[in-house]
Amino acid sequence: MSEVKKLWLTALRDLERFANNKYWLAAQIAMNLADIFIFALVFRGFIKRDIVPDYLQYMTPGAVALATFVAAFSIGREVGMEVRRELVDYLLVLPMKRTTLVFGRILSGMLRGLIYQVPFIVIAMILLSPPTIGKTPILIATSIILTTTMSSLAIAVSTISRDFNIQATFRALTHYLLFFFSNVFYTRKALELRFPQPLPDIINIMPISIAADIYRWCFNYYQSIDIWQKLLALAVWGTILTLIATTIYLRNLTKR
Amino acid sequence: MIYMSSLLKDLRYILLLVQWDLTKIVRRVIFVAMRSTWFVIQVVFFGPVIAQMVNARGIGLDVSSYYNFYLLGIYTSILFTITASRAYDIAEEFEEGIIEYQLSLPMNRKILALGRAIGSGIASTLFTLPMFLTVIILTREFDLLAIAISIVSALIFSIAISGFVLTTTLSIKSSDATDIIMGVLDAILVRLSTIFYPAVILKNIAPYYYAAIINPLSHLADLLRIFYSFEEFKEIVVINPEAMASYILGLFIGFTVLAMYVIEKKIEGGGWR
Repeated sequence: MSEVKKLWLTALRDLERFANNKYWLAAQIAMNLADIFIFALVFRGFIKRDIVPDYLQYMTPGAVALATFVAAFSIGREVGMEVRRELVDYLLVLPMKRTTLVFGRILSGMLRGLIYQVPFIVIAMILLSPPTIGKTPILIATSIILTTTMSSLAIAVSTISRDFNIQATFRALTHYLLFFFSNVFYTRKALELRFPQPLPDIINIMPISIAADIYRWCFNYYQSIDIWQKLLALAVWGTILTLIATTIYLRNLTKR
Repeated sequence: MIYMSSLLKDLRYILLLVQWDLTKIVRRVIFVAMRSTWFVIQVVFFGPVIAQMVNARGIGLDVSSYYNFYLLGIYTSILFTITASRAYDIAEEFEEGIIEYQLSLPMNRKILALGRAIGSGIASTLFTLPMFLTVIILTREFDLLAIAISIVSALIFSIAISGFVLTTTLSIKSSDATDIIMGVLDAILVRLSTIFYPAVILKNIAPYYYAAIINPLSHLADLLRIFYSFEEFKEIVVINPEAMASYILGLFIGFTVLAMYVIEKKIEGGGWR
């Protein structure tokens, strides 16, 4: 059996277990939907129009970006459990290269992220407008890069320790960092009014911010952005984070 | 004399159960650290930016007044989340057989329910006390009477939510169902209340407004706001202060009695899913 097929089988095995998280997923979906249909909808009537003309339309693509994070992190929880219960020993004796195993897990997290994201893309298409044919490949590429990055990150932070509490803390801190220090909830203009540079600039180049901006362009909220520059920046973030995360996971697989 | 001795015994049991809940929350160091980090980010980062974005003047507030409004809302939110998270502790206790052990103790089950509700309420309120003090420092309101009444209101609210959590978790007897119910409730109740936005803004969407009126979180958040600056917030709260205080008191009595009823009449050991 080729390594590619083994990688695919590893990913499929993890994908089949995605439904096991249905209770956790239901709560996450409720939270994401509440962010759009309650939080953003109410704030639409309260946010200054000169800062954000339509807050619901501004926030929805951001919620699409955040959705990838939630689903990809479900693989992090499972990998964390494997480390705690020493199931990694079993995984290491499987007849496949360690890199195949690692990339199989990342691929699975990516697929979970993409599946979870679909309903939110549909919601964004309804609340804003569907992407044009030309923008669709960019939307797909953005989702693939983002879900891969989030999946790698989730796996890496979940294997840092064997202690469940420390794993959960690292996951939560990563969540907070990506969630709050992004432009999902606030515009650059609002950040500049409150905080000095370079903070607004830094937040604007965070991966979730870049992805949210691309989604806003894809769903026609922004008429024009430097799309190739944004896509390149996201790809650079994705490559760096995935490489670091892969190295950490490979190291932690055998660390005792 | 016999009545007095029985009362003292019951009070001793309640004290022991309160101690039990306090020990449980002290052990959750990582949970404490995570919630504290969330609170710090809300106070230092999220709140100030949102205050810049909202049209506070449209409802008679300025940026700093809205920030104070937000802080008291965030405090209510974290108090609710931490009290509701006691559901996971209770689920864990059920899985470990501790609930069965407690049910078999030679004490009145009503006392068991009351002790657990009060214990959870005190533990959650104590846990959020540093956050409450942070809010006081940031809002620069040092009225001792307001501080005392606020802490008492927070405690009564927390005991009420603990009663609800006990009733729900022990009735459904399922870790998965507890997980989803508490997760969804937290997501919906926090957003569908006056924690982030005042009732006058919610009036734009009628179903949300009516949901916020019956939402306990709206009542505690707005009551705390009234304690701190009656003049500033009196026009934008969900309902008049007496009604809010009565609502929280009613909730406390209702959920505590419900927890006592469920634990005394409905609960038996085993059957955990």
